[in-house]
Amino acid sequence: MASDSSPGNTNDGPSSPGENVSSPIENTYSSPAALHRRRRGRSSTPTQFATPPPPPTRLASSNSTPPTSRPSAARSNGRNGRGGGGGGGGGDPGTPLSTDEPLPSSDDGEDDGADDTTPTFVWGTNISVQDVKSAIEMFVKHFREARENSEDLFREGKYMVSIRKVIEIEGEWIDVDAFDVFDYDPDLYNKMVRYPLEVLAIFDIVLMDIVSTINRLFEKHVQVRIFNLRTSTSMRNLNPSDIEKMISLKGMIIRSSSIIPEIREAVFRCLVCGYFSDPIIVDRGKISEPPTCLKQECMAKNSMTIVHNRCRFADKQIVRLQETPDEIPEGGTPHTVSLLLHDKLVDNGKPGDRIEVTGIYRAMTVRVGPAHRTVKSVFKTYIDCLHIKKASKLRMSAEDPMDVDNSLRRVNEDVELDEEKLRKFQELSKQPDIYERLSRSLAPNIWELDDVKKGLLCQLFGGNALNLASGANFRGDINILLVGDPGTSKSQLLQYIHKLSPRGIYTSGRGSSAVGLTAYVAKDPETGETVLESGALVLSDRGICCIDEFDKMSDSARSMLHEVMEQQTVSIAKAGIIASLNARTSVLACANPSGSRYNPRLSVIENIHLPPTLLSRFDLIYLILDKPDEQTDRRLAKHIVALHFENAESAQEEAIDITTLTTYVSYARKNIHPKLSDEAAEELTRGYVEMRKAGKFAGSSKKVITATPRQIESLIRLSEALARMRFSEWVEKHDVDEAFRLLRVAMQQSATDHATGTIDMDLINTGVSASERMRRDTFVSSIRDIALEKMQIGGSSMRLSELLEELKKHGGNINTEIHLHDVRKAVATLSSEGFLVVEGDRIKRV
Amino acid sequence: MGGPAYDCLTNPLGAVRFSFVNALSSGYDPASSVGKDWGVVDLFRHYFSDESAISQVPILDSSSIKWVQPKTLVRFRGMIQDMLGNEFYAGAYKDDSTWRTNKYSDVSQFPEGSSTEIQVWERRLLYCVPVPGKNQWTECSSQELKNRFLDLTGQNREKRVRVDEEMTDSMDSSTLEAGRNGSPFKKMKVGEATSSASESQVPQTSGIPPATSADSLPCLVKIYDSPESDLKLNDVVEFLGVLTFDPIVMMDTDTLDENSDALSEAESVQMPSEKVPRLHCLIHRKLETQHFLHGSSLLPEPKSPQIFKEIRESLMKYLTGLLGNDHIAAQFLLLHLLSKVHGRVDNVAVGKLSLNLIHLNKESMSIFGTQLSGALKSLLPFTQSIPLTIEYLNTASFGPKKDYGINRLMPGVLQIADGTHLILDETELQPGTLNSVGVENANLLKNLLECQKVEYDFQYYKMEMATDVQMLIFSEGKSNIMPADLVLPLQPSQVNSLEVITPETAETWRCYLATCKSLSHSIGQELQQVVENDLVAARQTDRSLGSQDLSRLLTMARMISVSYGETTLSLEHWQMVLELERLRKERLK
Repeated sequence: MASDSSPGNTNDGPSSPGENVSSPIENTYSSPAALHRRRRGRSSTPTQFATPPPPPTRLASSNSTPPTSRPSAARSNGRNGRGGGGGGGGGDPGTPLSTDEPLPSSDDGEDDGADDTTPTFVWGTNISVQDVKSAIEMFVKHFREARENSEDLFREGKYMVSIRKVIEIEGEWIDVDAFDVFDYDPDLYNKMVRYPLEVLAIFDIVLMDIVSTINRLFEKHVQVRIFNLRTSTSMRNLNPSDIEKMISLKGMIIRSSSIIPEIREAVFRCLVCGYFSDPIIVDRGKISEPPTCLKQECMAKNSMTIVHNRCRFADKQIVRLQETPDEIPEGGTPHTVSLLLHDKLVDNGKPGDRIEVTGIYRAMTVRVGPAHRTVKSVFKTYIDCLHIKKASKLRMSAEDPMDVDNSLRRVNEDVELDEEKLRKFQELSKQPDIYERLSRSLAPNIWELDDVKKGLLCQLFGGNALNLASGANFRGDINILLVGDPGTSKSQLLQYIHKLSPRGIYTSGRGSSAVGLTAYVAKDPETGETVLESGALVLSDRGICCIDEFDKMSDSARSMLHEVMEQQTVSIAKAGIIASLNARTSVLACANPSGSRYNPRLSVIENIHLPPTLLSRFDLIYLILDKPDEQTDRRLAKHIVALHFENAESAQEEAIDITTLTTYVSYARKNIHPKLSDEAAEELTRGYVEMRKAGKFAGSSKKVITATPRQIESLIRLSEALARMRFSEWVEKHDVDEAFRLLRVAMQQSATDHATGTIDMDLINTGVSASERMRRDTFVSSIRDIALEKMQIGGSSMRLSELLEELKKHGGNINTEIHLHDVRKAVATLSSEGFLVVEGDRIKRV
Repeated sequence: MGGPAYDCLTNPLGAVRFSFVNALSSGYDPASSVGKDWGVVDLFRHYFSDESAISQVPILDSSSIKWVQPKTLVRFRGMIQDMLGNEFYAGAYKDDSTWRTNKYSDVSQFPEGSSTEIQVWERRLLYCVPVPGKNQWTECSSQELKNRFLDLTGQNREKRVRVDEEMTDSMDSSTLEAGRNGSPFKKMKVGEATSSASESQVPQTSGIPPATSADSLPCLVKIYDSPESDLKLNDVVEFLGVLTFDPIVMMDTDTLDENSDALSEAESVQMPSEKVPRLHCLIHRKLETQHFLHGSSLLPEPKSPQIFKEIRESLMKYLTGLLGNDHIAAQFLLLHLLSKVHGRVDNVAVGKLSLNLIHLNKESMSIFGTQLSGALKSLLPFTQSIPLTIEYLNTASFGPKKDYGINRLMPGVLQIADGTHLILDETELQPGTLNSVGVENANLLKNLLECQKVEYDFQYYKMEMATDVQMLIFSEGKSNIMPADLVLPLQPSQVNSLEVITPETAETWRCYLATCKSLSHSIGQELQQVVENDLVAARQTDRSLGSQDLSRLLTMARMISVSYGETTLSLEHWQMVLELERLRKERLK
């Protein structure tokens, strides 16, 4: 075939372009793998190694050549090969030989002389084939996982079990964990990584031997697939020294070719006598057509023709892999690398998938043109794949709460941290000021708002969700609402959390509809089937859903949130679909006060214009008010001056960088599940009771509720999150104290009854504070008194303004100022009682 | 080869080989070096250590490509538009026990067939284009060089009697060949004509990402021995290296099919060397504005504030004239022209100062806008203007986008070099509907204005690239699509006819702007206190002042300070800032 140029094929001359139909790499100038050549060269030496029929190795069949076969290989090849019928091309000086370039290897030449006397060394190395073979045999037969009991000593090794399994299911490969190889025999591991072509071929042979001893009739060729190398390379760092080495790297598939059938065995038929030849195996990407008919009686020349439907083909695919965004340095563009997939690996991933590939890095020369023998001095590189691990699959199985489907975020697959990182985290978590440090690291460019940040931090870590056997669920997610004046960096905070959080979805209230947030039933226009499409909240299951401009959301959309925020599901009953989808999401919403600036005279409800039912579902409601405060201003001024005069970096040296922060959070969320200690539980009860008591003032007739059962749940969640931050399995008393403080801080601002200055949960729950209600009641009763006094049933009407005057005159028991709208409200109440009739501006008694 | 055996200028490869031989004799081992530099870089660095030597090297552009010979030294000034990854090549090979090198050349020189030892080395590929929006004055004329060069090659041709396969001569042989055919790049004129795209046009989706201006010449630069962090996307760099032309590469085109395309980089397919010349970079340097100035370097620093003051005055006069005698607007414009991002903390780009001139309509735009953009073109190295029409927003591709089909980054209008000046004309905007592209583009612009970042679309994910662009916006009312740092109503009192400036004056002003931009800046302890107090006081009186407003005041202070050639902020200048701000506020009322 045209793409072959190994020393063994020097005599074909220029091959016709028509031959290379099945070659995927047209203009490559290449030759078979070193292994293949070696086998042929060796065939004269009767070793065990040479005897087994060369299986259709995936490596050998990829018709490309490493440019790094060792020089000794080339030389001895020439020496041996001429006799052995192998590749004896070294003698022809005019032949292009691009393939046998040396590799800077210290082993080079060591065994040059010993080559023929000790028959089984891998070319140019000090690896003895027999040693390797026995090492592999030992490994396969005797490797046991460390955790297996010593009693099982006589049980079969891990890989023997899997071999039996493969035979049973007639599989074609077994997966071998490189860590196991390393644990069993580090030397073998090193050899395998350095000389993968050779070692893997031996591995395959060993496997075949074992298979045939177990089941003689097993015909399939079992291959080994190595995965999970100890070190993973970054695509950027691949360099010439990696060529011909086993490497493992991560990336994202950006493009995959169609599947190419590659011929493996060809059958020829004689046009004269109709004789069918035996299958001819592709040798180095080349099939030699028999020049004459093989049938003794016929012997017709140039009569053989290929029979396509009796040939055997194998699948092959070329895939392009690109670096993941986190590996790209600033000011760079992503690198890409080509992968060559064979057989079962084909179509293992589609564009957009993140995969981890184990394979052999190879380079091949590029022929200038099919008719040219000259080659370019440039090599094309690709990875011959051995194993593909899909990152997404792994995540799904791991039920990882922090997993991510958005590629922008880095939390993702690295949740299994290496030990070093873990130790670092443990260390970090042991620091006494970890809580402060974490909150400092959260959006370091936003000033002040320390308590808000702490609340957000709690949200990131989250509490423990509880599912009781009775079916009752308690959510672990913490919902936060930020209300504040424009320009107080609410949106920035939101964006930051969105960036940080796993599976975060960011929506704007104005642009969201109910279905867009929850789920949506659509009819497929073609098939007519109804399908469910997830909205933002469902998509952010186990994440944080950030909703900006919450106040501008339509009422219908907001009402959908009720279910999500407490039950954590989205129920759909429409068009033949009744479904309940999980939406275990924390909601982080921010809203502007209705009058664009917060009016301290009005209650929170009036300020935000949100239904109290929804408001009570937020664990923490922060009012971010832009209060004139010289101290804050001074700090801001200092910060900005510093920003402009070069020492900006020093201001935030202590902050933990965002990557560490995300991994820290995801680790904690996954692995730490704190429980309430007795002491903490006691404290919770005590604090709660106290909070409720606080509403009852001695001598005050009004009943103010300061805490509701919802609050105690919030408190538990908050204290759990706080314990998580410390990687602590127990919720301690101080966690509870801090949780109370956070709640108080948040509530103090939002649930302060401005008339009395006390915390009043009624404000949140109904939008009207207790004192306000009392005031209204007195109002109504005094109006009633006036009306009774001044008006007769069905008599003359009275203007509201007159009424107001009367009230003011009367006003013994109303100590505050009275406005016309207060009067209107009271009158409305009375008219609903049927006591008055309102006619425009006048009232009438009935 | 005795004496000065090589000529760095005309036979750079000879110099490379010569130094390779030298290095070999002093113990350089190609087998273990991984292609590390053996002294070539130093050699060339030394040779081109001063500006005059560099100016001897012809600059590769669409006009010089017609006469520049392959395998000679050329310069290419451009912006790194795309990075094509690494390339492995046969760097060194053994020719009868002596090592030879292929570094800095394209074609394989090793005699195939014999059992050679070959070392695989690697190099980086960068796709460079002329800086988008490059102004006329930045180009230097190479007529003189051309003549000299043609002479030289003429001599060479006569000298040559026969072509030798010997490597040392191969360069000359190619030259000869090229000489015979006229120029290998002759064909490109044809291609150029069809692919010419004007600045505002939508990039076509042909194999070669269209260049931003009609006569631009892209170049594929191959980088050796340079740390990755050295060269970044969108950097403006001058590469000095060997121009190569590989005649065989063209033949690839007709034999490629889908499969081979998938494995190969497809680089030769999309970039036939007759359209995209290859440059093997020996040395490179990042370009600043002063490198484009003819002959003169930067102004002497603070020692002579008087000079700065004088130039500032004359420039101010000019700008005031341009803006219809609006002195305040001219002040702000000057500050705007001096702005530059000099630090980034999270999402805040410190030092940006975009200006939005309002109260302009179509008629006044045609007067002031044109005059202004013309003036800016002659003052700044790179300027671009974007007309904001609904149609343009809906059709143009602003953000660069990766095309995986050809594995290239398709440039967008906003892929521009740092320091580019961008004029956005909103006066042309009519009411209408934006489609999704338009919305995306508007967002990109907004993001650029607010954070000085452009999002690059890599389809599966997006990447934000930091940029440093000065943005000047013309609009009738305050632009809401593009919230600029400074909003100023223009109040021209009269229309002046365009003042003709002499090239010398223009040169002085360019030089002044470049110098001021490069000045460092600091603040004294005492003044810092004053500034802080003033900021606090300002915030106490006006609660609507956010951190951005305060930040802007400091940026303005810096600009005023450097515009006088001073590196520390003085009280006088700080008060000027406050006064300017007061005047601006007054106008806004």
